[in-house]
Amino acid sequence: MSAPVRTNPISPDAVDLTTTFAGLSLPHPMMTASGCFAYGQQFAHFMDVSQLAGLSTKGISPAPRMGNPLPRICETASGMINSIGLENVGAEAFLAEKLPYLADLDVSVWVNFFGEDADAYVRCAEMLSAGADRGIDVLEMNISCPNIKKGGIEFGTVPEVAHRLTKRCVEATSLPIVVKLTPNAADVPAMAQAAYEAGAVGVSLINTITAMGIDVRTRKPRVATMYGGLSGPAVKPVALRMVHQIHTKHPDIPICGMGGILSGEDALEFLMAGASCLQVGTANFSEPPAALRVRDELRTLMAELGISNIPEIVGCIGRHDPEPTYAPEASWT
Amino acid sequence: MPPSQFGAQLVDNQALSGGYFTLRFACDAACGAPLSGIEPGQFIMVRGEWGREMLNPRAFSVLDAQADGSFSILIKIYGRGTAALSALRPGGAVTITGPLGRGFSAPADATQLLVAGGVGLPPLHLQAKRAAAAGRPEAVEMFYGGRNADDLVLTEPLDDWGVKTTYATEDGSRGHQGFVTGALEARLEAAKASGEAVEVLACGPTPMLRAVRTMGLAHDVRTLLCLEEEMACGFGVCLGCAVPVRGPKPYKYCCSDGPVFDAREVRWS
Ligand SMILES: Cc1cc2nc3c(=O)[nH]c(=O)nc-3n(C[C@H](O)[C@H](O)[C@H](O)COP(=O)(O)OP(=O)(O)OC[C@H]3O[C@@H](n4cnc5c(N)ncnc54)[C@H](O)[C@@H]3O)c2cc1C
Ligand SMILES: Cc1cc2nc3c(=O)[nH]c(=O)nc-3n(C[C@H](O)[C@H](O)[C@H](O)COP(=O)(O)O)c2cc1C
Repeated sequence: MSAPVRTNPISPDAVDLTTTFAGLSLPHPMMTASGCFAYGQQFAHFMDVSQLAGLSTKGISPAPRMGNPLPRICETASGMINSIGLENVGAEAFLAEKLPYLADLDVSVWVNFFGEDADAYVRCAEMLSAGADRGIDVLEMNISCPNIKKGGIEFGTVPEVAHRLTKRCVEATSLPIVVKLTPNAADVPAMAQAAYEAGAVGVSLINTITAMGIDVRTRKPRVATMYGGLSGPAVKPVALRMVHQIHTKHPDIPICGMGGILSGEDALEFLMAGASCLQVGTANFSEPPAALRVRDELRTLMAELGISNIPEIVGCIGRHDPEPTYAPEASWT
Repeated sequence: MPPSQFGAQLVDNQALSGGYFTLRFACDAACGAPLSGIEPGQFIMVRGEWGREMLNPRAFSVLDAQADGSFSILIKIYGRGTAALSALRPGGAVTITGPLGRGFSAPADATQLLVAGGVGLPPLHLQAKRAAAAGRPEAVEMFYGGRNADDLVLTEPLDDWGVKTTYATEDGSRGHQGFVTGALEARLEAAKASGEAVEVLACGPTPMLRAVRTMGLAHDVRTLLCLEEEMACGFGVCLGCAVPVRGPKPYKYCCSDGPVFDAREVRWS
């Protein structure tokens, strides 16, 4: 057992929550995640949305998409499986109808996007570029689309393919691109490196983990598409491991971490693993202002632990002290 | 009324026959007051202090709500969430999100035939109560079905309000023997014969709603269905509770466009 790092508690007012991610200055690390915040408006009933550091929109494709058959969601232990099917209003309607509200919020607006093939990705990035001076700050490129055409899975799992796709999108837009990584890849750090070297300003992760639920009474899968994406606290340990692996191998790549964040302590774990900003997804469903509560808890916890600022702890995880080599001894009896 | 999220405490947990429970909660009058102004069929999302394992809140129709911030729901144990709620004791804390969705409007010219089954009772119970409170109990008629007499709960108030009620049970232990849709069919025939204007409002198990829909369409009377779909958020964000509909978009959402839908709009084969 390693001893706790000894620090004296400080006043919460002395905690500086500001952080930078790929050149963006954020007032604190807490954003909301794609598909778990729609286009923001619904949340205005429950919270002051402008208090967020930023938000990521529902994934946008060049043309509107209608989504998958029912059932689309099921709850599982400490999480849920979804197979929404990337339903969205399409790039044109997004720019005309959804963006003006977001632009007025004064938060970092990340537009999550995807295409049904490589050309559609590029087209979507081009279309969304029209929002560069209308409020969009970042394009978050979702390369983990389990339910799109054949070949789609390679965008998220084969580094060379991700590199090529990212490069084309980067060249197609003036907006910075953050590549959102899927945990369903064999070598996630290699994916991050491929995206970064192709010109992405950073990576965000994790997207959902391919998963299944079974209804034993009907002998049917619990989402109509058989497999869906697992999210929520159940995925947090996996997400932490992946954030840490990327940060350890490629400490220069800015990381936006997510996966099951529900508390200030969860947030601090992700920061310590190597993320410099964070997104809250599934938690918004049961608690719309969850990200703001997490921000407040993070401040309290940092004060308790005597951590005065974020850069101090990003990627601070050390190894346990090595165990001494024990020589074999004669048995006790 | 826009929704909000607020805390409430259980005041009373009453076990009824048939495995049903009515749970009455109290909250800040300012938080709860919007619930008293809802349309029957509007719902709330409820979550207890359940830790992380059971993540999402559960949807329940509002059975009744007062301006002082007290409100009640009717539940039946289905899985872990409803089991946890049924075990809640006075003082037990829950988090409420609501009011959510769009409900039924009050009767106008046509007599409203209220068709209820199982945990689909609350919207129609509240609709009947409202009509009676407005001095128009005759503007609604209740058709309430269950497996047996124990499956029919909260029936005395219907009598007190002077709401005409037809019961149907599968085993004949109360009212007509058979499905409630049998009694509805007869009532629709009678209305057609006399030229009386009626409309149908229904909430209950999906097989019942399908039958009511078919019947309503066949008789060409306005038929409104209050649907249940699994939902994570309840306010139009997760897109889990899609309902197939006719028209330019293949889906609407149970939580934000419904849960009340016109039977003509719902695309059930
Ligand atoms: C608009 C609306 C109004 C409702 N009103 C009532 C009511 O007044 N009284 C009542 O007892 N029940 C009502 N229900 C159904 C109730 O929400 C489910 O019975 C309950 O969520 C089951 O949760 P559980 O944890 O017991 O079951 P579990 O099977 O453990 O639940 C797992 C997940 O499935 C969801 N789920 C399971 N069954 C349903 C269902 N039939 N509809 C929607 N979600 C489901 C749960 O919300 C949860 O996310 C309503 C549902 C909706 C959508
Ligand atoms: C209902 C739902 C819809 C989602 N839609 C998207 C999407 O459109 N694009 C995307 O990149 N991620 C999407 N995600 C993934 C989340 O943004 C997030 O990466 C994941 O859920 C892990 O975070 P969490 O555990 O905090 O939810 C979705 C997740 C859920 C639960």
